[in-house]
Amino acid sequence: MSDIILSGTGVTRTFGALKAVWEVDFEVRKGEILGVIGPNGAGKTTLLSMINGTLALTRGEIRFKDQVISGLRPFRIAELGVSRTFQIVKPFPGMTLLENVAIGALFGKDKIRDAREAQDKTRSILETVNLSGRENVAVENLNISERKRLELARALAMDPELLLLDEVMAGLNTTEIDWIMGLIRRLNEKEGRTILVIEHVMKAIMGISHRIMVLHHGRKIAEGSPDEISRDESVISAYLGERYAKRRGGDA
Amino acid sequence: MLLQAVINGLLFGAVYSTIGIGFSLVWGVMNIINVAHGSFIMIGAYLSFTLYAAYGVDPFLSIPIVMAVLFGVAYVIQKFVLNRVVRGSVFITLTFTFGLQILIANVCLLIWSADYRSIKLPYSSAGIQIGQVVLPAVRLGIFAVALVLTGLFYLFIRRTKTGVAINATALNFEGAKTVGIDVFNIYAITFGVSAALAGAAGALIAPIMSINPFLGGPLVGKAFVIAILGGLGSTIGALVGGMVLGLVETVGTLFIPSSYQELLGFSVLVLVLVFRPQGLLGKRFYE
Amino acid sequence: MKAKWIVLAVLFVLFVAAPFLLTGFWVRLITFTFMFAVLASALNIIAGFTGYAAFGNMVFFGLGAYTTAVLMNKVGLPFPVALAASAGIAVVMSILLGLLLLRLKGHYFALGTLGAAEAMKYIVENMTSVTNGGRGITVPSMRGSPFMHNTIFYFIMFGLLILIIVVVWQLSRNRLGYAFKAIRANEEAAGVLGIDQTRYKITAWALSALFTGITGAVYAYWFSYIDPPTVFDVMWVVKMFVIILIGGAGTVFGPVIGAFILETISELVWSRFINLHLGILGLIIMLVVLFMPRGIISVVTQGKGLRDLLQGRRRPSSPAAGPPSSSNGGQS
Repeated sequence: MSDIILSGTGVTRTFGALKAVWEVDFEVRKGEILGVIGPNGAGKTTLLSMINGTLALTRGEIRFKDQVISGLRPFRIAELGVSRTFQIVKPFPGMTLLENVAIGALFGKDKIRDAREAQDKTRSILETVNLSGRENVAVENLNISERKRLELARALAMDPELLLLDEVMAGLNTTEIDWIMGLIRRLNEKEGRTILVIEHVMKAIMGISHRIMVLHHGRKIAEGSPDEISRDESVISAYLGERYAKRRGGDA
Repeated sequence: MLLQAVINGLLFGAVYSTIGIGFSLVWGVMNIINVAHGSFIMIGAYLSFTLYAAYGVDPFLSIPIVMAVLFGVAYVIQKFVLNRVVRGSVFITLTFTFGLQILIANVCLLIWSADYRSIKLPYSSAGIQIGQVVLPAVRLGIFAVALVLTGLFYLFIRRTKTGVAINATALNFEGAKTVGIDVFNIYAITFGVSAALAGAAGALIAPIMSINPFLGGPLVGKAFVIAILGGLGSTIGALVGGMVLGLVETVGTLFIPSSYQELLGFSVLVLVLVFRPQGLLGKRFYE
Repeated sequence: MKAKWIVLAVLFVLFVAAPFLLTGFWVRLITFTFMFAVLASALNIIAGFTGYAAFGNMVFFGLGAYTTAVLMNKVGLPFPVALAASAGIAVVMSILLGLLLLRLKGHYFALGTLGAAEAMKYIVENMTSVTNGGRGITVPSMRGSPFMHNTIFYFIMFGLLILIIVVVWQLSRNRLGYAFKAIRANEEAAGVLGIDQTRYKITAWALSALFTGITGAVYAYWFSYIDPPTVFDVMWVVKMFVIILIGGAGTVFGPVIGAFILETISELVWSRFINLHLGILGLIIMLVVLFMPRGIISVVTQGKGLRDLLQGRRRPSSPAAGPPSSSNGGQS
């Protein structure tokens, strides 16, 4: 009971007549990696945005460590220990890599007051994401892999208990993906962070998640271990169509 | 008394609409607040004055000439100068148009001096009287012409190929480029049309107001109010906004001491900005 | 690094010696330039650092000026008290206006502040019993010789300038400044990173208003006469923006350098081309925006700048030009 770090009840978000997320109940246990998958438009990012406060809920409630966070402004939720990365990275233009990440350290959960201290903490984080040599580079000059790692570093600098990753692997090559998978595992196992991952790279998300939740057209259609999910008919049907699911179901 | 004020307000409101449409157009399409819009109006007024004083051309007849001249000048300014900053931040564009405005004011000052100029038309005292209400011929003429201009503009922006291109560019700059629209040329045309309308408005007000180079500023203030009230990108909105402003001004004088009028105007403006930035009629179009 | 400190030290000494070496005309001119530098630096805090182009910032200048004028003229309070009151009122007004207007973006914010400033001007004009309305109000002037007058105000403005430079220098490297810069860079992302945007925006504007209001108060005492059209004139802010553009937005010394450049040009032009003064100012504004939107400082600053430029390496872009505007206005 007490090891549920994040929970949502009846979480709903509509845009006019569009049901982006509909009546989703979910629970995330402390220390686990929960993967969220679903075809495009399933509502995954919308759900994430509601958790971190960027989007308001139309209905329902979200709790973090048993405190209601739905309705709080993003910065309040961030202060409580929730941080996220964006699918389309949003670095701060006009600043260096170091400055970008330092902001996370300054205003995240720990609220470090001294700028120098924040920069030191930032440097150790840059080491973790393998960006140490590039700290004084202007963010406009980073390549996609570096930018993704910047997003991650910035979120980490906030020292989150709950880390929300939104397609952090999109645009990366296989080596980079493997590397990030390892990093996520380390963050979870060594640093004890709870992680919620949205991903399209199947092998990655199946490989690192303890549990998986599947969304389709805004609703949760399945939940379970990666193994269970890969055999679930409704999931296969959502991705590949009913006929294939029926065929596959017969083989499994 | 009230009826006369209402009529006066409506009659003059049409001119405000003409001013507002051009201003709103540039803002909506290019996201530029053209502080120099007022100076374009003044140029129109001065050109009309000069044509009348030197060649006896009736201000109404001078309108096509004034519009052509202003279109040309503005087109050139946009094409070769303003287009370079048009995609910049508000910092940049607003400061730039401020600079343009004082430059033009100075030029007008040099050419026409700071003395108040006015046009006294031979038929300025003619008019119709319906019951208690007087409808001066000049004002009726102004009203009619302003409405015609508004109507022509509406047709232009909705029915002509260029007008549609302007709309497209406003809604989606990149998309417009992709389908082959020469967007910077469109910008130049937009600015030209806006200035032409401003010039026409200037020619229209010349017979009824005394003009000097510094009237541009307050006029831009009114243009801004009209654009906000009516909503950006909406011709009908600018029309309504202009009328509303005209009404508020004339009817307002009856009830509120004039010193508080401006204050009321600005307070309403700030409130509209804060609580309903899309204006009374506009959509949150150009965001 | 060393070179910069030496230059600053030399300049400091020169400026301190100036009133004793130059004529009154020049001393007043430099004082005026100091004033512009302070006003531009104050505007820089909310506009250059935080990204909110407050075109109505002179509302605080006017308020500061009038508070001091009224308190000294009608109530007979001494200048230091009036100054403190001006500062207080400016800050309070900035918080009130901020709560109302800082939710707006881009053009809407710029013009909202302009509207507020105009409204304030009319309010002041109409409170005739208190402010003497449109006729303007005089301030009991400081006693002493012209030399003393010039010199004292010279050093007051100089002191203000040094103070604000120190503050902005701190902002360029401390936590508060980071918040401002983050808000400017990407307000939404800033929120997600734990920055309370509302609180920090208001702080930025309050800081800006504080210095602007104090400067207004000093201006009233210095000139001994103010009227609403002068102290609430939008041209103050336009000039400040030009100064910021010339020097470089979001930098520490940019506004100072810009102020000196603009005033020098203004002086040269004013003395020779009075008729064209406005026109040339307008032209300068347009040229600066066209050709130097990042300011002189982005080329010269921090030593590395020029080297990077020559090697074709892109530096962090100076915030002056800003990203191609996606902030079309409206509420967040």
